[in-house]
Amino acid sequence: MAKIDEKDILKRIQDPKSKRKAFEEIVNAYSRQLYWKIHYMVQNHDDTDDVLQNTLVKAWRGLDNFKGDSALFTWLYRIAYNESITFLKQRKQMMSIDDEDFVEQANFVADEYFDSDETQEMLMQAVSTLPPKQRQVFCMKYFEDRKYEEISELVGTSVGALKASYHIAVEKITFFIKSKE
Amino acid sequence: MSTKNNRIFDPQGGKYPFRVNDEYFDNLAARVMDRIDEIDKEPVEKEEKSELKSNVFDINKNRHRNLWISSISIAASLVLIATLALKFIPTHAPAENEQTEMVAAQTAKENMDYNEDLMTYTMADNMDIYYYLLSEDFEQ
Repeated sequence: MAKIDEKDILKRIQDPKSKRKAFEEIVNAYSRQLYWKIHYMVQNHDDTDDVLQNTLVKAWRGLDNFKGDSALFTWLYRIAYNESITFLKQRKQMMSIDDEDFVEQANFVADEYFDSDETQEMLMQAVSTLPPKQRQVFCMKYFEDRKYEEISELVGTSVGALKASYHIAVEKITFFIKSKE
Repeated sequence: MSTKNNRIFDPQGGKYPFRVNDEYFDNLAARVMDRIDEIDKEPVEKEEKSELKSNVFDINKNRHRNLWISSISIAASLVLIATLALKFIPTHAPAENEQTEMVAAQTAKENMDYNEDLMTYTMADNMDIYYYLLSEDFEQ
């Protein structure tokens, strides 16, 4: 990830002449992280691409309102999280719960970006059964090995609640895999 | 615990089993900026739409106003009719009828008293009356 000087970026955002260039730097710096955070939620490339682009467009529109009260990535993450939730709600409305389960599982098999074995596929199927926020927490802890404090700052939930959420997620995944064995 | 479960509880965590081409991120900023440019062009169309929308709103507003005027006119007419009706239709008619009935009843009672007094004075009984009614004098 390319590091950027947030103070410098904030100054350049305020200036209409340098705003566009500054935003391109933001996109280059944070788009990878955002992509995977969104992917944890929606779990396929095409939907992630849609949600990520919507996130960045909304960020551009709201850029003037960003005063630097939080870290820039935290601000972008919150937009991405809300966009992902909106997307998941729309997808849920379009199909019944049974259909959704089928599509989620079928996506892993058909997804050309899925690069793993049968065990990992089962793990991802188990992860897909978790509620969106719990899925985020589990993925950030398990796949990124982030500290609870970092996750807490990002998602705005207490460390204790995150620990409990991760513990419950692991139990659910274990139960899912045992039931499939 | 099975091998699958051991992988899940691996303290080192796991590798996220999806990948994406680096080219995707190389082009992302350009694609997003293109999309933003397209969106920035839209306000002109949106303004036209909003103008059209405001006209539609005006029409709806006029319809709404006309409906209110009609409703108020009808309500005022009903109040006027009710007022006139209360003013010109005699509300004491039932009392007059009662009075007429009382007068008629009193007159009938007086007539009966008069007949009884007359019969007492002439000392005529019912039989005399029958004969009188059947007699030729009455028929003539």
